[in-house]
Amino acid sequence: MNNPTELISLRELLVVAPLCAMFLISLIPLLIKPLLGGREPNPISVLVWNFLAIIAGAGISAALFGHSFVKTFAFSNAIVMDGTSVWMSYLVYFVTAVGLMLAYDHVATRGRQFTEFCFLMVSSACGMLVLIMSNDLIVTFIGIETMSLCLYILVAMSREATLSKEAAFKYFVLGSFASAIFLYGIALIYGTVGSTYLPDIATQAVKLITTNRVFLVGAVLIITGFAFKVSIFPLHAWTPDVYQGASTPVTAFMSTAVKAATFVAFLRFFTSEAFASSPHLLSVMTWLAVLTMLIGNVAALMQNNLKRMLAYSSVAHSGYAMVGLITAGFGTNFNAAATSLLFYLFSYAIMTLGTFALVAAFEQSENTSLEVNDLRGVGRRYPWLALSMTVLMLSLAGIPPTLGFFGKFFVFSSAIEQDMYWLAFWGMINSVISVYYYLRPIVVMYMSEGEAETLPMNLMTRGTVIVTALLIVLLGILSSPLFKMVQQSVMNQF
Amino acid sequence: MLLSVITLLPLAFALVMLLLPEKAIRPVALLLAVVEFALSLLLLSSFDKGSPAIQLVEQIPWVPEMGISYFLGLDGLSLWLVLLTTFLTPIVVLGSWTAIDNRIKGFHAALFILQTSMIGSFLAMDAVLFYVFFELSLVPMYFMVGIWGGQRRIYATVKFFIYTMAGSLMMLLAIIYLMFACRDTFGHMSASLLDFYRLKIPFVAGEFLNPQTLLFFAFSLAFAIKVPMFPFHTWLPDAHVEAPTPGSVILAGVMLKMGSYGFLRFVIPMFSEAAGYYAWIFIFLGVVGIIYGALVAMVQPDIKKLVAYSSVSHMGYVMIGLFALNTYGVTGSLYQMLNHGVSTGALFLLVGMIYERTHSREISRYGGLAKALPIFTILFVIVTMSSIAVPMTNGFIGEFMILMGTFEASRPFAIAAVTGVVLGAVYMLWMVKRVFFGPAGELVKDEHHPLHDLSAREIAVMAPLIVLIFWMGLQPNFFLDYSKASLDHFVKNRDNYRLVISPAVPSSVEHVALRGEQK
Repeated sequence: MNNPTELISLRELLVVAPLCAMFLISLIPLLIKPLLGGREPNPISVLVWNFLAIIAGAGISAALFGHSFVKTFAFSNAIVMDGTSVWMSYLVYFVTAVGLMLAYDHVATRGRQFTEFCFLMVSSACGMLVLIMSNDLIVTFIGIETMSLCLYILVAMSREATLSKEAAFKYFVLGSFASAIFLYGIALIYGTVGSTYLPDIATQAVKLITTNRVFLVGAVLIITGFAFKVSIFPLHAWTPDVYQGASTPVTAFMSTAVKAATFVAFLRFFTSEAFASSPHLLSVMTWLAVLTMLIGNVAALMQNNLKRMLAYSSVAHSGYAMVGLITAGFGTNFNAAATSLLFYLFSYAIMTLGTFALVAAFEQSENTSLEVNDLRGVGRRYPWLALSMTVLMLSLAGIPPTLGFFGKFFVFSSAIEQDMYWLAFWGMINSVISVYYYLRPIVVMYMSEGEAETLPMNLMTRGTVIVTALLIVLLGILSSPLFKMVQQSVMNQF
Repeated sequence: MLLSVITLLPLAFALVMLLLPEKAIRPVALLLAVVEFALSLLLLSSFDKGSPAIQLVEQIPWVPEMGISYFLGLDGLSLWLVLLTTFLTPIVVLGSWTAIDNRIKGFHAALFILQTSMIGSFLAMDAVLFYVFFELSLVPMYFMVGIWGGQRRIYATVKFFIYTMAGSLMMLLAIIYLMFACRDTFGHMSASLLDFYRLKIPFVAGEFLNPQTLLFFAFSLAFAIKVPMFPFHTWLPDAHVEAPTPGSVILAGVMLKMGSYGFLRFVIPMFSEAAGYYAWIFIFLGVVGIIYGALVAMVQPDIKKLVAYSSVSHMGYVMIGLFALNTYGVTGSLYQMLNHGVSTGALFLLVGMIYERTHSREISRYGGLAKALPIFTILFVIVTMSSIAVPMTNGFIGEFMILMGTFEASRPFAIAAVTGVVLGAVYMLWMVKRVFFGPAGELVKDEHHPLHDLSAREIAVMAPLIVLIFWMGLQPNFFLDYSKASLDHFVKNRDNYRLVISPAVPSSVEHVALRGEQK
């Protein structure tokens, strides 16, 4: 701990400098708007300002922390900047930038309130950065709330009239419940451990988890809170409705960045061997992972709406990521498991971003909800988009040599390393089930005739689809460097 | 370098296809496929027949953290399968000249990607690399059936994809398990087959839940589906019937061999105890497959479906030969894989040619075709003879050796398998009789659509296959000599199988150099 009498030092400010810079710059368009008399500024300039914000954030963190992965603490150790923080924050910056581009292109979001929309998205990203860097449950809570509050509004801000409002309300009510449960969990843990500082909890958890019921309940409540955010069964029910109701750029942002950031915080809570002494917790978590995969995949089989299908697929992918989390929490080789989880999050984020970008590209108006069958004829009319979508779908299904294959490969190999064959087995069974619905868009695009059309004004959206597909193939074939970077960032970090 | 070039060149060809104008695609594709074949012939000259070691090795770390490498190598087991692939591709390009008339760009790109993945699976000496190629091969085939296929193509292609993938995922788990077993034994993770061979995996006879048995069945399931072995064959007739002619040729000619090659390369040498203990299951299912395939083929009203079921029957021979686990059986199996590729490929091409003329494959609508299409008939009968293993054709050598091997291993099964030979003659000859002889059928005597005999292009498609049928039938030793060292090594050291990397210089060159020094 730092000397408590000392005021906040410059060094500590540097740790949060990327976050502050991003937030402050993103305020500028909001300040311009009243100066223009409440008129909406040129969307391009709004976009440019927010890009500047993101570049500032990413640039500062690359300049200060990108070269060495030394752990830097700040604010009484409640915030930690380590390799994982740096790498996952890059992911958040990337996803946010792409989310803004998609929003700029999309009819449902590019309207009178584009300035506010962008600001909220960047603020939500700030919340994620806090979440990624948090080393204390209170800070984790602040991160989750900052991220979520912005998201509730973002979901509602679609120009579409009914579904998005319903989704936002549902998400808000259920999300508040989850936050309350999470907070209650913190209270119980504070009551037993006497601290909300994660390393303290980790050291005490080893014995408390089997001896102290109150602590166990607290831990379970916190896990419940996380499980809601990353849509783990049985707290996944909001996902399809919210993902479908939200405008597609927001869905793309939510399904990738939120999940990645929350999983990192979840991982920090699950630090090395803290909970390994409780076999009951392990079996509960294992069943949750298996059921999440199964429910997600089986439900996705029956969807005709493309966004709903992808929502259930993202539930299933939470299950796969959970396999990595469980092996990290309950296994003996924490570094390998954490590496595989983070690698999986990278691969998942890139794939999902691309797929939702494709959905956005084919939505004609703010009220469209794209059915799988609406992709008819894409293969003929937009060969590059169709090819990219094929790559994305095959990657989600885990067909080699795509990035998605290596994501799954590393996760399942760390499960096998820990002799958790049961998890790996169910993961494989689920991969087979998922192939069926991932093939459906491909069948529709190439094997049936039709007149799918994109609006002419969505170059950035189309670019996103193609670039993500390219990334997936390249990073898949050259997965070793990415894996090594993630591995180095994880090394000795937790 | 040679192996990489042969493996990856078709991938570059696929890109070339995407960039060319529609008109130029067919000739350029043919040219490139011939170039690829010519390059692969270089393998014969740089391959050392006398050594069972893997040769022309290339090894580059791919994911060093997990011990995965880009590791290619060639030995007597894979040499002819690679050549079969490169040989069939130009034939397929020429054979699909008129059959495929839409989206030819995509078609040829898919064909070349498929070629890369097939050659890659035969050459990969790293289990993960093998898995990547093995799975990748599904994607172009999926498109081939799904886009250019027949009426029920989507059902067939999705079934094909999911069925095959379901099998191979368990294999992936097994591969990962073995990689960690390598770490525990040798201190470093490895996906190299050479390390897998060196592993000692505990085996308990008669119990199911022990590592070797589970791994054995995990691998076997993947390959048994691919072969396909009875009762996992149900995807095959669907895929074959719906696939366009070139798709069927590649599917029957090469892709099925990826399954039997898997048994030869992975299952039997890696899990020798389990393979020996459970061999009877595979021989039994192989024999059932032979007889069942033949009986079902007999009652098919559709020529293509008949040929598809004959594949089930023929691959049954390959399976019993492999699990006879002796020199005759294994050699015969390897030979039968090539035979099946040539003769079934030729049959599918011929069926495709007649289908192009009449748009029907129903046997009952034909009859008396011999008078109308004499050249076609001659070729068809020759290929039929090869398929039913008449002496002097390639089929005879393979089936004869397989039956000898099976006889050595288990007489009752050999006797049962021999009935399959008779049944095979029955369904093929009966079909030939109904299609080519007897009174002219409705399609043959239809005066509005007179049938034309084979064009020069079609004869050019068939000529190499016919030559090969006789060449392989009359001079089997030319082909088997290249594989003999590897096969002998395989059978002799089955319980303790090891492969070594041969030095970069082929040993024959070394001998010459040594002799030179002595003088």
